[in-house]
Amino acid sequence: MSVGALIFAFNNEQTNYVQMAAWCAKNIKRHLGLSTAVVTNDVDNPDCSVFEKVILAESECGGTRYFEDYAESVTWYNAGRTDAYSLSPWDQTLVLDADYVVASDQLATVLSSQQDFLCYRSASSIDQNNDFSNGNNWFGNPAIPIAWATVMMFRKSPHARHIFDCMNMIKQHWSHYRELYGIDRTTYRNDYALSIALNIVSGHTLQTNYIQGNLISTMPAHKFSKLGEDRYRVDYVNKEGQSRWTQTKNIDLHVMGKKDLEAIIATN
Amino acid sequence: MDTDNLISYARARFDHAAARQLLKEKYSARMLFPYNGGMWRADPTLLVLLATVPPGDAVVLDLYETPVQVNPEELRGIAMQRWQEQMNAWHLEFAELSQCR
Repeated sequence: MSVGALIFAFNNEQTNYVQMAAWCAKNIKRHLGLSTAVVTNDVDNPDCSVFEKVILAESECGGTRYFEDYAESVTWYNAGRTDAYSLSPWDQTLVLDADYVVASDQLATVLSSQQDFLCYRSASSIDQNNDFSNGNNWFGNPAIPIAWATVMMFRKSPHARHIFDCMNMIKQHWSHYRELYGIDRTTYRNDYALSIALNIVSGHTLQTNYIQGNLISTMPAHKFSKLGEDRYRVDYVNKEGQSRWTQTKNIDLHVMGKKDLEAIIATN
Repeated sequence: MDTDNLISYARARFDHAAARQLLKEKYSARMLFPYNGGMWRADPTLLVLLATVPPGDAVVLDLYETPVQVNPEELRGIAMQRWQEQMNAWHLEFAELSQCR
């Protein structure tokens, strides 16, 4: 059975996602030994040479999103993720965000699962003081749990195909589903589409299998720096307004602050 | 890094509570392992359950609530080894981080 990792990378006015994806692919190869593919509209980018496969796709804009680290709204080319199932050349695929830092072999456990589809059900902030109860782990009115599209594992199977077909349907009729689920933000978000799709495919029971544990994340307001190989320092201000820091070693991270991640990648 | 950032970097104190929670999340994830088509977590609950199951094949629910036929002695051996290895690594890293200021 063929296995690989798929990363979507569409550059916008602020972030070089292809470069970020190439760095992510190197980490994947080092820790998981997987083949990697990038889905991009910038196939001539020299960073694409890192990937075994380069898949050309048009960028699809999901709207604009404000990023605290850039202090401005940037265009968000996130809407193509729903095509991961049809674009993947492998029987089993790991779909990762370009800003996901693979610093361990932990995802090998996810790949060894017999499930047809897995993603994270909950996220936690590295500083433990960000409120993830609203908007990050629950959404809509009445609230339903968020499934995170940052890390997804799927096998080519009817169950996984139904989930991606459903995500596509939700994306195409986003204004309808946004209203139906009481989502106040107009920007299309893959996490919401995935959550709604899982809800529909499970027969509106919310009975879905997820990756065990939390998606550990750093927030855009955090200062993210590298201490050594697979070791990172995160600086933040706690609820009392005091400067604090913590460090990670061999922990996979979702880094929401793209600016700091780009700076780290530029020096590597 | 500008001067303000350098001062803030130097003045920041290590957040032991956050580090402790991070270690818990890291090692909880490392307790997971596949066996016989099921996914398991090496923890006292699984170890105690397997200690009470009579010898011979048994059917146990995995983390995804799938009934899986297992050899209890074999699964217990794997779970115990995983649990001890990861608890030792957790203890070492905890002691290392306790020195941070």
